[in-house]
Amino acid sequence: MPPTTTLLTATRAAALFRPPFAASYTQRSVALPLRSRKHAGPIQKRWNSSPVHKKPLSPDEQKFPTQDQLPHVNEEASAMDRILQKEKTCDGQPSSPELEQGSPVEDILKRDKEGLKHMPKVMQDQLKKKPAGSSRSFSTSSRSRQQDMETIGSQDDISAAVLADMIKQVNDEANYQLPEGLKFDMPMLPSEKKTLNFRKRYDSMQDQFTKMLMQDGKLARAQKNMSIILDHLRTSSPPNINPRRPLMGGPPAPQLPLDPVRYLTCIIDSKGIAGGGTAVQIPHPLTLRQRRRAAIKWILDASEKRRDAQLANRVANELVAVAEGRSGVWDRRDQQHKIGISGRANLGLAPRRR
Amino acid sequence: MASSWCWSCLSRLRVTPTPRAILPPQSITPRVASASFHSSAVQYANPTKKKGALVTQKYRQGQTLRRKKKKTTERARPPAVGERKALRKRIVLSNPNALEVEGMQDLSAETMVDSRLRGSVLGLPLPMLDQLRAVQAFKPKQGWSIFRRPGTVLRRDTLEMGRLFEKISGEGSAPEKGKVVKKILTGLKGSGKTVHLLQAMAMGFLKKWVVISVPDARELVSGETSYTPLEGTSPLQYVQPNAVSALLTRTVEANRAVLSSLRVSQTHKALPGLKPSSTLEDLAKLGFQDVAIAWPAFQALWTELTATAAAPGMEKDFVPRPPMVVTVDGLAHWMKESAYRASDYSPIHAHDLVFVKHFLSLLQNGQASLKNGGMVLYATSTSNNPAIYTFEVALEQLAARQAGISPSSPDYPSPEAYSGADERVLELFKPTTGKEPQFELQTLGGLTRDEARGYMEYFARSGLLREEVNETWVGEKWSLSGGGIIGELEKLGRHVRSTAQPVPVSV
Repeated sequence: MPPTTTLLTATRAAALFRPPFAASYTQRSVALPLRSRKHAGPIQKRWNSSPVHKKPLSPDEQKFPTQDQLPHVNEEASAMDRILQKEKTCDGQPSSPELEQGSPVEDILKRDKEGLKHMPKVMQDQLKKKPAGSSRSFSTSSRSRQQDMETIGSQDDISAAVLADMIKQVNDEANYQLPEGLKFDMPMLPSEKKTLNFRKRYDSMQDQFTKMLMQDGKLARAQKNMSIILDHLRTSSPPNINPRRPLMGGPPAPQLPLDPVRYLTCIIDSKGIAGGGTAVQIPHPLTLRQRRRAAIKWILDASEKRRDAQLANRVANELVAVAEGRSGVWDRRDQQHKIGISGRANLGLAPRRR
Repeated sequence: MASSWCWSCLSRLRVTPTPRAILPPQSITPRVASASFHSSAVQYANPTKKKGALVTQKYRQGQTLRRKKKKTTERARPPAVGERKALRKRIVLSNPNALEVEGMQDLSAETMVDSRLRGSVLGLPLPMLDQLRAVQAFKPKQGWSIFRRPGTVLRRDTLEMGRLFEKISGEGSAPEKGKVVKKILTGLKGSGKTVHLLQAMAMGFLKKWVVISVPDARELVSGETSYTPLEGTSPLQYVQPNAVSALLTRTVEANRAVLSSLRVSQTHKALPGLKPSSTLEDLAKLGFQDVAIAWPAFQALWTELTATAAAPGMEKDFVPRPPMVVTVDGLAHWMKESAYRASDYSPIHAHDLVFVKHFLSLLQNGQASLKNGGMVLYATSTSNNPAIYTFEVALEQLAARQAGISPSSPDYPSPEAYSGADERVLELFKPTTGKEPQFELQTLGGLTRDEARGYMEYFARSGLLREEVNETWVGEKWSLSGGGIIGELEKLGRHVRSTAQPVPVSV
């Protein structure tokens, strides 16, 4: 009986295990997941082996499992295809990244003062656009840390992106010509038009509130309750706002009922806590969604103590009470802030979380 | 091959400072004098004994962690009886937060026939709101509560109805004066059937007609009110005195001005307490003061309202009677057997209830009954609606007759064989004979784009809609609402798409 495995399949299988040569070339290549998996997965240790004296990565260098996922099968295939087919040198061999890489124009221009004068106008404009020192390089508002990490890690990418953008602009301007037979611009087809059809039915805050209002997975019912709440906010008299506990942002109080979602957003965002406490009492900023979640939860908890017959009415009355600064939720928020502020002392003690 | 020992077990075998896990605790096995396995000193502290009871491991006791369940908040007392229902049935007609729409006109005898105003929203006159409330023309969940004051769209059907009202009232000497128009309103869910009835009632009040309304047909057949057999009828018929009394109350409340200006002109043997000089309001009051004579009082009131001349000897104060508007909402409930039972426990057909029968008979002999003319509007409903096959067929037949198909034609719809069609329903919907005008089927569709635009502008000008109302936007909403179905348009109009921006919070 002849052997069932052929040589062809065997070589193909071997090709799969070959280390990808483009690993150092592109960020979004097929090589990346393999590399990151090496770091991310549980490390196989042997008891008799010597201990690993590896310096742990600083938080900024670490990769999270969700940060760089495996590319989609199509992406992987297209990347492979591009490497193998498209990027060929003149002799028909697949090019290697080392051959492709040259020194960027910026680097040359840094050295060459004469070239700086004669560089294309587009590049000059780009340089003029951001004079140094006009804006802070850091932000004072709290943002999600995920974004911070992305920007820190990719300073080089930004300059490269700027360059690529400029080049693309120049090329487009140079190459642009009307298609044959057209006097004016190509009319936009409906399929190409960026419509507003892809949009959410509800405001993101309303959506979050509705889902937290949901009991036993009955979303439609929660939506109905939400509409009752919004109608209550719309029809109840404008809130007498306590000056000690003002609502943040939004129009003045008499205008609030006419835009109930805005009203609700103001209530929730005013309650949102900036610092969250953990067991070790190290305050850290919450993201917008987390902040809102905490606020909604407090309001829903407080509404349970009310005596109105309907859930929607209980919540709606509690919301109005919050808007007017009567609710006990405010005390809870103040308490939380106190904890957060006293916990600031601990900030230097512990390393940054995550 | 992997070992059957897991590494944690193996690691425990190593010499550790505290080999407590392997050695049995002292409390169970007494210390033996013999040398231990290990050469090292045994280092474990004596387990602290609890005073009192010996801690023993019980069998058949769960080892899992038990947490206390979160206690549900005990509210002091449940809401009072009827509070929930009152909340559900509450009708709010005004929202003080909404903006007053500038230049909004009231519904009046002039505006209701003005075709230039088509597509605009006309406010219901404020003094009339009490009357409309009395006849229960407003229903909860119709969305009146978000506007400053209630208003309705002047659509094509409304204008046509307005003209009919004008003709029947007979300003000048119109040939239609004193005619009776009988219509059955159908249409998709949310197409405005009930509001059309409301507009009819409002026009009736404007024209000083007498408005008689059955706001929910279901209540008469669902077994909620009392019923008694009516003596001397064959086959036996049943009267619902409390329902009749309630109808009289509503009618008097809403039509007080008209009824108090009319005096009794006939002799009523069933009502010996009635004086010849009393008004029709007094007559109706007799009915709801004494439930036992509610039905005779209603019959007497009907005779008075439809009289064309006074009985001999009572001509002194006779005033010509005004036309009448009769509306019923939810007609399908009257086309089946009711929830009431006869003495032999057989179900009573709705047509055997004398009160129901009275209204239904107006379809066949409306002109004969309403001699002063008027309008009979019966609407079907699509919410809480029974599916009645025979009724559907009857409506199809009606539509076919209106389309000009002869009943003898093979295209004329008829109930399927062995479908158990209700003969009484088919009988009711037969074409009328003699001088009696035919009753019509009116199907309400959607608004036109222009009307929809006027309606959406009303939302925007009330401050409820924060969008730019232009042709494109209205066209989109018109399509989304199934071709201008007004109930769907209302949902789209009140759907808030706020431009709320998240408020940045600094730490």
